[in-house]
Amino acid sequence: MKLWTRREDARLLTGHGRYVADLVVPGCLDAAFVRSRVAHGLIREVDCSAAREVPGVVGAWSAADLSELPVCANEAAHLQDLPPVPRTMLAKLSTEDAVNGREWPSLAKDRVRYAGEAVAVVLGEDRYRAEDGAAEVTYRIDPLPAVVTPAAGAADSVSLFDGLSNVAFRGTAGEPIEEVVWRRAAAVVEARYRQQLLLPTPMECRTILAVPEDGRLTVWSGHQMPHRLRLELAKSLGWPAERVRVVVPDTGGAFGSKSATFPEYVAVVFLAVKLGRPVRWIEDRMESMSVATRGRGQDQRVRLAADEDGRLLAYELEIDADVGAYPHLGVGLPMQTAWMATGPYMTPRVHATVRSVLTNTMVTYPYRGAGRPEATAALERSMDVLARRLGLDPAELRRRNLIPPESFPYQTPTGRRYDSGNYAAALELALETIGYDAWRAEQARRRARPDALPLGIGLACYVERSGGEPGGLHDFAGVEADEDGAIIAHCGAASSGQSHETTFPALVARTLGVDEYRVRLVEGDTDAQPEGLGSFASRSAQVDGAALQNAALLFAERARERAAELWGVPVEEVEWSGGTLYPVRDGSAGMDLTELVKATGPLRVHERFESGMGFPFGAHAAVAEIDTELGVVRVLRLVAVDDSGVVLDPAVVRGQAFGSAVQGIGQALYEGIPYGEDGVPLMANGLLDYLVPTASEIPPIEIKDTCTPSPSTPLGAKGAGESGCIGSPAAIVNAVADALQIADPDLLQMPLTPDVVWRAARAPKYEEA
Amino acid sequence: MKPAAFDYVAPHTVREAVDALGDTWRDVRVLAGGQSLILEMHMRRICPDLVVDINHVAGLDRIGLDDGTVRVGALVRHQVFESPQAVPGPLGRLCANAVVNIAHPPIRTRGTLVGSIAWAHPASEWCAIAVALDAVIEVRSSGGVREIAARDFFLGPLQTARAPDEIITSVRFPLLGGSTGVGFVEHRRTHFCFAQVAVAAAVTVHDGLIVDARIGLANCADRPVRARAAERVLIGADVSAANDHPFADAALAGDHQPVDHPFGDADLAGNRLPADHPFARAGRAAADEDAAPVDEPYADPEYRRQVIAVLVGRTLRQAVADWRSHAEPEGGLR
Ligand SMILES: Cc1cc2nc3c(=O)[nH]c(=O)nc-3n(C[C@H](O)[C@H](O)[C@H](O)COP(=O)(O)OP(=O)(O)OC[C@H]3O[C@@H](n4cnc5c(N)ncnc54)[C@H](O)[C@@H]3O)c2cc1C
Repeated sequence: MKLWTRREDARLLTGHGRYVADLVVPGCLDAAFVRSRVAHGLIREVDCSAAREVPGVVGAWSAADLSELPVCANEAAHLQDLPPVPRTMLAKLSTEDAVNGREWPSLAKDRVRYAGEAVAVVLGEDRYRAEDGAAEVTYRIDPLPAVVTPAAGAADSVSLFDGLSNVAFRGTAGEPIEEVVWRRAAAVVEARYRQQLLLPTPMECRTILAVPEDGRLTVWSGHQMPHRLRLELAKSLGWPAERVRVVVPDTGGAFGSKSATFPEYVAVVFLAVKLGRPVRWIEDRMESMSVATRGRGQDQRVRLAADEDGRLLAYELEIDADVGAYPHLGVGLPMQTAWMATGPYMTPRVHATVRSVLTNTMVTYPYRGAGRPEATAALERSMDVLARRLGLDPAELRRRNLIPPESFPYQTPTGRRYDSGNYAAALELALETIGYDAWRAEQARRRARPDALPLGIGLACYVERSGGEPGGLHDFAGVEADEDGAIIAHCGAASSGQSHETTFPALVARTLGVDEYRVRLVEGDTDAQPEGLGSFASRSAQVDGAALQNAALLFAERARERAAELWGVPVEEVEWSGGTLYPVRDGSAGMDLTELVKATGPLRVHERFESGMGFPFGAHAAVAEIDTELGVVRVLRLVAVDDSGVVLDPAVVRGQAFGSAVQGIGQALYEGIPYGEDGVPLMANGLLDYLVPTASEIPPIEIKDTCTPSPSTPLGAKGAGESGCIGSPAAIVNAVADALQIADPDLLQMPLTPDVVWRAARAPKYEEA
Repeated sequence: MKPAAFDYVAPHTVREAVDALGDTWRDVRVLAGGQSLILEMHMRRICPDLVVDINHVAGLDRIGLDDGTVRVGALVRHQVFESPQAVPGPLGRLCANAVVNIAHPPIRTRGTLVGSIAWAHPASEWCAIAVALDAVIEVRSSGGVREIAARDFFLGPLQTARAPDEIITSVRFPLLGGSTGVGFVEHRRTHFCFAQVAVAAAVTVHDGLIVDARIGLANCADRPVRARAAERVLIGADVSAANDHPFADAALAGDHQPVDHPFGDADLAGNRLPADHPFARAGRAAADEDAAPVDEPYADPEYRRQVIAVLVGRTLRQAVADWRSHAEPEGGLR
């Protein structure tokens, strides 16, 4: 009997996981950062002298005390097969133009640009001592007006970088749409939406432990891209990459927020090398909430036009993105929204524009969904408004416009080439699963009774992108056999909780026809796996899975070649079956792989594998009921139908769908960062102020899938990690809007907290409008 | 999130605890359940010189009954009140209704009622009940014992009339009589966060008329509030006018899964009270006259007043329903 669903469960669910904070390294120092309570201001003085007198404190430094401290987001130039690096990222997350003249210091030098930015670092014998020291550091900062919204930032009345505009990046996708198109349309929907800033909130916050030894540095970090971290840290130190080893132990979630090099990492690594002692930084929850990367953050303006039959004519999306204080990591991220603006529809004209605006908050960066939730929310909210304008059922409006299965590959007006899909099938399954017609009947019944709680049904069809952007669609994978016959699979991915230990060995074993438990996975160690890109953009199954499958096939091939050589027969006369090699002709007993490697030495295959982009899709549906007196939204049902191509392990994919749906509910109903006028987030009590859905908030969620294999790799898998964050928020908001029948779509901005919904419930309804 | 260094003592008697608290030159704090204090210490918003851990003091973990009052000792955990039998009569039901709104179960196994009173968070359920029922806070210092009426005890957010050298040994609540019905309704954004508004009510009914009403409001001002203006509206009100049937639409027909209605008694929502109903008028009086809500994210004063008005009405309906189903024969069943 199998006791655990996943191989890693035996360890993780019994408290035997080992995270960076669990690693015991003798003599290790803990870092604590002194953080600015001011969001924007000029640093007049930082005084660490009192901190240095605190017992157990080993050192305390401001930027002025550490003039050699490298900046954050160094340019990792001249390195082959670069994973996305800060400056000119392959994923186009930033640009040369955006970062020129805008330095990102690892400790703030003369100006702070977000509340929580580190102005000093203290090392202590343990975290208690380090915090004791941090409490003694004093600083004087003259406040400047804070830029809290993109609109305020774009006005440039206060600049974050002297002499430079706060607009750090502009981009477009698609061609501008002529006015005549809008004039001639039967219906045009115009609306504004706010995609609020969110915190990724992994259970384990960020971690780094740097151990210098024998001229090398070993860095332990809960990280999604160990090879990138290695390159960037090596570059910071001015070292060749080989002198740095990055190891990713058990990691408690990331959701995108652990794939870069952060100011604190540079400081920790620099000090470890400077002092020749192990140093670690274990970010705590309060720090994470003020200084970890944020997700989303877009103010959108849309226009959507259709003819009288409900055929979409044109869609325009203008984005003012709130990208935080430094442009180095995420100014280009809103382009993900622009490129995906077309969504799953055949709209002939789509035009999206992006303005990325610097604001006084920590940097905006990919958070589960990364640009696609924003695209889906804008389009799907507008689709519901349009359906009502045209007097069409929202499901029917979508049916008339979904890209049909025979049109793939489909070139969108915004520059994407969708690989494969059957969008209508996902929609029909979602409607059937939720019981669409029965809920519409219930809704009609309630609408006939003035005292009934209003009920609404919301839909969201989505298509998203997985794998990465061109230039970053590859990874490295290998399969090896030791002399004891054990098979080791390794790849450039790095799990932060996505079950790689279960799914990847199973995939390799299936490909080789051997027992699952004969295969072991090694990943997340740059010594054991010299090259790699990592786990982001829902790519692990799609890219690394396919890479492993490819490596396994090559491995069997190599084994046959060796046996052929050993036996002196042509390779076509050697068969691989279930881990044993057979001579086809003489019918004698085969030779097990173990014997083969004993006879011929270890067998290793290591390959670079290139994938295409994947375009997962799906349809989500929500039913919500509103207590209009209080504004409380009760989600009665949520259905998520996702198509992520060929699924490696249904239970694991289900887990991803479920977890991401819950985070989608979080965006729709609970999560948001309230800022004071001074730009300081109002979250003094941590997760008591920033509310994430807990087990008690989870409504009945039903998860279904359809399977349209991706032609982008022989494996046919697409990404599966982000679906719920992408599809669910729009479905839920649509359900609320449908329940309230509100005339003005701009009134329902996420999160739909009770006060927002109560106000919206009192606004004019559309029959009255 | 690591506390600053502090000294620690764990006395075994109240006397020893009081002696430790007598060191008024230093910042000395009592540690009860620690569910507020430890949090504050982790954030270094409170950095005591000395922590007096009373968890080993014998005899403080009891609920005592005498003379129509119930005395809750300083180590009685929230969780104890989850059983309506922990305290007799309507008060037991009120406590049971209220306590499930406090945080989540693990926190309730540690946190204490008395600790909540001592902490005086404006959103505290227990503090609202204490002012509604005229609880008495019993404190002791080396100078002797003193009793403070709840109405005089709460001075502002996290501020009380307790002197730093005083320990609260217990809090006394009057037991409620058989002809009293109780209700407790809370509105919050998720199951475990603090209340945006909570309302406690106890109404005493004779001959179908309300003869006494006590309403406590949590998070409706900088301290717990007794809603006296609302109470006045209710005296003499006819309870038969209160329709206490839960609204049928909330429970869905057919094969749809039943859904837990988490936020307040929202299943009453569709069935609104007419504006001139005494409970609706009481709600408006509470919102407009008794409450003084301060601004907070996601709940500005205007919205909060709305919630108060609605919740007071719902709590009163719950109290009347409670009275109907529990009233003793002589208590006024019609
Ligand atoms: C996630 C979370 C959610 C919560 N939600 C709620 C909620 O919804 N409603 C709510 O009311 N509370 C809530 N709390 C707080 C919780 O109820 C605490 O238990 C309570 O506020 C304090 O009780 P305690 O026994 O833990 O006191 P402690 O934390 O030990 O002490 C709190 C303060 O009171 C003082 N003190 C305690 N006992 C005495 C005494 N006998 N004499 C003198 N001083 C004393 C302490 O010195 C300290 O200053 C929540 C806490 C958490 C962590």
